[in-house]
Amino acid sequence: MTNKVLRCLGAWVLGCGFGSGFGSGFGSGFVSGFVSGAIVNAQWKEAAVGYSFSFPRDHASHPDYKIEWWYYTGNVAAADGRRFGYQVTFFRVGIDAAPANPSRWAIRDLFMTHLAVSDLRGRRYRYAEKLTRGGPGLAGAATDQYHVWNEDWTAALDDRGRHVLRALDPQAGIDLVLDPGKPPAINGVGGISQKGAQAGNASHYYSLTRMPTRGTVTVDGERVEVTGHSWMDHEFGTSFLEPEQRGWDWLSIQLSDGRDLMLYQLRRSDGTRGGSRDPRSSGTVVAADGRTTHLANTDFTLTPGRRTFRSANGAVYPVEWTLAIPSQQIALQVTTPLDNQELDLGRSTGVAYWEGAIDVTGRSGGQPVSGRGYLEMTGYKGSLGRVLSGR
Amino acid sequence: MRRLFARFIVRPLLQEKLRTATTVIGVALGIAVVVAIQLTNASSVRGFERALETVAGKTAIEVVSSGAGLDETLLPSLGWLREYGGMSPIIEGSAALVIGDVKTLSRRQLEAVKILGVDILRDQPFRDYQLLEMADDKPEGLSPPVAEGLSPPVAEGLSPPVGTPPPDSVTTQKFLEILTDERSIVITEKLARRRGFEVGGTIRLMIGDRVRDYIVGGVLKDEGPARVLDGNFMLMDIAAAQLAFDRIGRIDRLEILLPEAADLDGSIAAIAARLPPGLSAQRPGRRGEQVETMLTAFHTNLTALSWIALIVGLFLVYNTVTISVVARREEIGTLRALGLSRAKVLALFLGEAAALAVAGIALGLGLARLLADVAVGMTSATVSTLYIATVAAPPDMASGHVWLAVAIGLPLSLLAAAVPAIEASRVPPTAAMRGHDTLEMRTRLRPVMLVAPLVVLALAYGLALLPAIGRRPMFGYASSFAIVIGASLLVPAIMFGLAALSRSTLRRRLGVEGLLAHANLTAAIPRLSISVAALSVSLSMMVAIAVMIGSFRETVVYWVGQTLQADLFIGPGIRPSVGSSQTVSEEVIAAVGAHPEVVALDRFRNVDLVYEGNLAVLGAGTFDVVLSHGTLLFKSPADARARLRQAIGQDAVIISEAFANRYGKQDGETLTLETPHGPMDFTVAAVFYDYASDRGVVVMDHGTFRRHYGDLPSSGVAAYLKDGADLERVRGEMLARLDEGHRAFIYSNRTLRTEVLRVFDSTFAITYALELIAIVVAMLGVAGTLLTLVLERRRELSLLRLTGADRRQVQRMVIIEAALIGAVSQGIGLAVGFALSMVLIYVINVQSFGWTIQFHVPLAFLVQATIVVIIATSIAGIYPARRAAQLVLTHDE
Repeated sequence: MTNKVLRCLGAWVLGCGFGSGFGSGFGSGFVSGFVSGAIVNAQWKEAAVGYSFSFPRDHASHPDYKIEWWYYTGNVAAADGRRFGYQVTFFRVGIDAAPANPSRWAIRDLFMTHLAVSDLRGRRYRYAEKLTRGGPGLAGAATDQYHVWNEDWTAALDDRGRHVLRALDPQAGIDLVLDPGKPPAINGVGGISQKGAQAGNASHYYSLTRMPTRGTVTVDGERVEVTGHSWMDHEFGTSFLEPEQRGWDWLSIQLSDGRDLMLYQLRRSDGTRGGSRDPRSSGTVVAADGRTTHLANTDFTLTPGRRTFRSANGAVYPVEWTLAIPSQQIALQVTTPLDNQELDLGRSTGVAYWEGAIDVTGRSGGQPVSGRGYLEMTGYKGSLGRVLSGR
Repeated sequence: MRRLFARFIVRPLLQEKLRTATTVIGVALGIAVVVAIQLTNASSVRGFERALETVAGKTAIEVVSSGAGLDETLLPSLGWLREYGGMSPIIEGSAALVIGDVKTLSRRQLEAVKILGVDILRDQPFRDYQLLEMADDKPEGLSPPVAEGLSPPVAEGLSPPVGTPPPDSVTTQKFLEILTDERSIVITEKLARRRGFEVGGTIRLMIGDRVRDYIVGGVLKDEGPARVLDGNFMLMDIAAAQLAFDRIGRIDRLEILLPEAADLDGSIAAIAARLPPGLSAQRPGRRGEQVETMLTAFHTNLTALSWIALIVGLFLVYNTVTISVVARREEIGTLRALGLSRAKVLALFLGEAAALAVAGIALGLGLARLLADVAVGMTSATVSTLYIATVAAPPDMASGHVWLAVAIGLPLSLLAAAVPAIEASRVPPTAAMRGHDTLEMRTRLRPVMLVAPLVVLALAYGLALLPAIGRRPMFGYASSFAIVIGASLLVPAIMFGLAALSRSTLRRRLGVEGLLAHANLTAAIPRLSISVAALSVSLSMMVAIAVMIGSFRETVVYWVGQTLQADLFIGPGIRPSVGSSQTVSEEVIAAVGAHPEVVALDRFRNVDLVYEGNLAVLGAGTFDVVLSHGTLLFKSPADARARLRQAIGQDAVIISEAFANRYGKQDGETLTLETPHGPMDFTVAAVFYDYASDRGVVVMDHGTFRRHYGDLPSSGVAAYLKDGADLERVRGEMLARLDEGHRAFIYSNRTLRTEVLRVFDSTFAITYALELIAIVVAMLGVAGTLLTLVLERRRELSLLRLTGADRRQVQRMVIIEAALIGAVSQGIGLAVGFALSMVLIYVINVQSFGWTIQFHVPLAFLVQATIVVIIATSIAGIYPARRAAQLVLTHDE
């Protein structure tokens, strides 16, 4: 069983980067390819309708669920106007909920952390990762308070309710304090974000969409004081994706009119280039006062433009998009200040995805708006579904 | 000059085949033994060090703790070590591969393997792990992105193009899949092939007393650590290894991988300065050095022994060259008369020695390889029984060994030949005119002859009183050497004395042949002395070692009788050795303790202790039991038992005599030991006798041990039974109580004593073997010398035959001569041997091992040996005797 889980790990990475938590797709590969899925279901809790969130409790870890991550991205700038983007994601992947071996090194969870900093003016993109087992406290996620760590990389809540992020590598680093900003926005319907056709293929998913941010970022050893805004996603569940779901495109946007958007579309492997859109695609609009509106698949369109980025590994990512949400009177053009923001972990965990800072311009509620955000594109290097189905 | 050498030296050498052959073989054996022992010594240390290096891989520094490994909960607080490089926690242990049925398990069915437990997520950069591609190993899971992306050839299992990084992703992933199961294990290609193991198959391992089945999860290519112990290497996940070795909560060491450009010494110093008390940083090679130091005394003794054979070989060179000079005195005179300079005469005979030496060295090097295989077989049992687990394969002979042989053999042969060669160069041209003559030799005992040997023997006494140089009893060896030299110099005097005393006895007992033999030998004393000295030296070493070992054995027997009081001893399947502690599990202790006839159980635990940079043993025992059962023999103080009672619960220890001698500690003094919490002071309550380890043993009461080193699983358990219990029956019942997963070795008191003595005897097997070689060499010398005498006495022998002596009488005479030589040599050997044994027991042994040995004469052995020697020398006389008997028929001079 462990083996199967691990085989899915790489695929899961692709998923987890996705704000809405497709990491869970991992689970579906498991179900489809493994007879004793029942054991897993006995071991891990599935995301179910009716979950009610409470904070700060729900910032902390939910070890009953197989997969969980804490995801932060942000657009920040130095006093002199130099722009930077950053991403740090702490993943927890449950491997064996109750290992028989009493050793602390027995793998209950694997902890993976991805860190990336984009120097948008200097056109540099630097990233690092850590993949660690819990062991005697080398990595972990607390359940009584919000504190996740992977060796010396940490994310935690301080005594004033601020999110404190620290992750430093020789090439890339962040040391940031984030105010919560708007109240948590619960994505999906009824406390769950449905990802697949089956009932259990879902996650519990909330976002902090506009977090005032202050601190430093480090690129190639240069440390720069910055301020700006961040976005946090926290998602947990047990089983999500389906074999024919190939990948996804996910966006988080903070608009100048105070509204924030989260949107994702799932792509299916069905012959068309890039794959056709899956009906489980959805999103959330967060008003300036924090009230949320759920967007169903039919409520928006997300269309790639002509401009692409071709990675050295062969993946081709569309780096401009057109977004329309007619019911909200939103029409936006999405571009990026830096084409190469691909996290290629092919040598270690065998995955690659594009995760980068974006600029948006267009109209909202009839008024011209601009905005910033982050775009995530997965499944452009091989088919995720194929990986997951184990064929 | 070259032609002269060919005719004057080479031709006679070729003609006198037997003498030449014995000399060459003698030198060859000497060289072979020396080189073989070098190879053997190297093999035990090198085997360990090579395994260490191979396992260490790219590890630059390791962080270790005193006691039994690091408390793993310290790890999060050691995060700063990442500033220096990668970190990898390691569990390393020995296990036994079980071949055949467990129920009837004997130690012969076990094959030692080394197991490394790693966190593969961290360890991958440290070592070269390459999983063997299986035929059906289609890339799946993660592989497709890799296959479509970076490097398709890699995914297809072909070697990556030059410059392309290895496919870490696939390997790490694969390893994780394979290893995270606690029953999964990765074996090596060599082992898989040798034993026919396949992926998915089951292998049975015995670790401590636990027998478990593991699933072969993968096979490592024959690279990197997979080469350790000739493929007897296995890889486990660290969690699985902790469970398997009963080391939950501890890791053996934390390894650190520095960047290539890093300053190693600087980093070690910086890390050491920041580590909490109780932890230290060292190079991985440090453990090898500690083992090397530990084996020093053992190796030095073997080396010293090996030199005896060489010295005896050199006696033969001396002998041969002397005979050569004596036999050709007239010819030398002629050459001198013809204008050959003294220097050239000297060169001729030195050339002869050199020729013999070169032939001996060449033959010796060939023999060395064979002897090394035998010697490794004999010593590796000892080394692994007493010291470390190692693989019994001698290293290949390197050019260094050839140079060693040449560097020892050639100069020493020349030195040995120098005396007769110088005498030859002094032969005056007039010698040619005087006709056939013998060398001007002393034919009578003169008091002056006693001066030199007595001075040397006095020197020997003085040397014996000097202390060791750093655990190497150099003065002790020098003293032995002086005794040997002194005794050799005394041999002519002794022989003259014996000749005067024995004439009438021989005549009475052995008739006319005896008288003739006596006369012949007496006349030849100056020449014979050399052979007799060589044989005496060999025999004296045999006697000395027999006395030493006999005394040691008696002492051990007494000690075992006193200290092995328990009725049954329960231990793990593999003997613990340095770096591989083996433990008895709680299940076994519970099963054994539950037997209705068990009255008391005494658990003990041993760990490796680094004291002053050397490896010693730290043990935990129950002082109460020691007191109530009297299981220790105390050396000091007089009221040791009272002190021991007071020591319970205190920071007090008792130390073995070897420890006390080696580190100069006495009872009442303070001993500072490294503990996991830093250095701590302990009072030495008493010193006890111990012959189980020359490393030195420190024992503390269980409570004290637990307080400082934690609660560790037991290394062994002693059980005391009700009076009158049938040991064998209880033992059988205990074994029957164990479940399938456990297999302890239970010894009854009697079998353990036998086992102890078996180990003891096997330890000294090599010693006897070396001795035997020296004696064989000396026998060759006797045969050669006798043959020379016979050839020189052609006319006399012919005359004897003409005057009515028959063949058998001549033969008998020569054999009596041979037996007399043997008897005289053995007599001298016994006397010198006792002197040497004193030095061995009271100087060398104490200085190298720190043991008190009670002097004991193995009378039966010595009587037997004496008879054997006389018979053997008589046998050595058979060939010369036959030649002597034939001479008359073939020569009509």
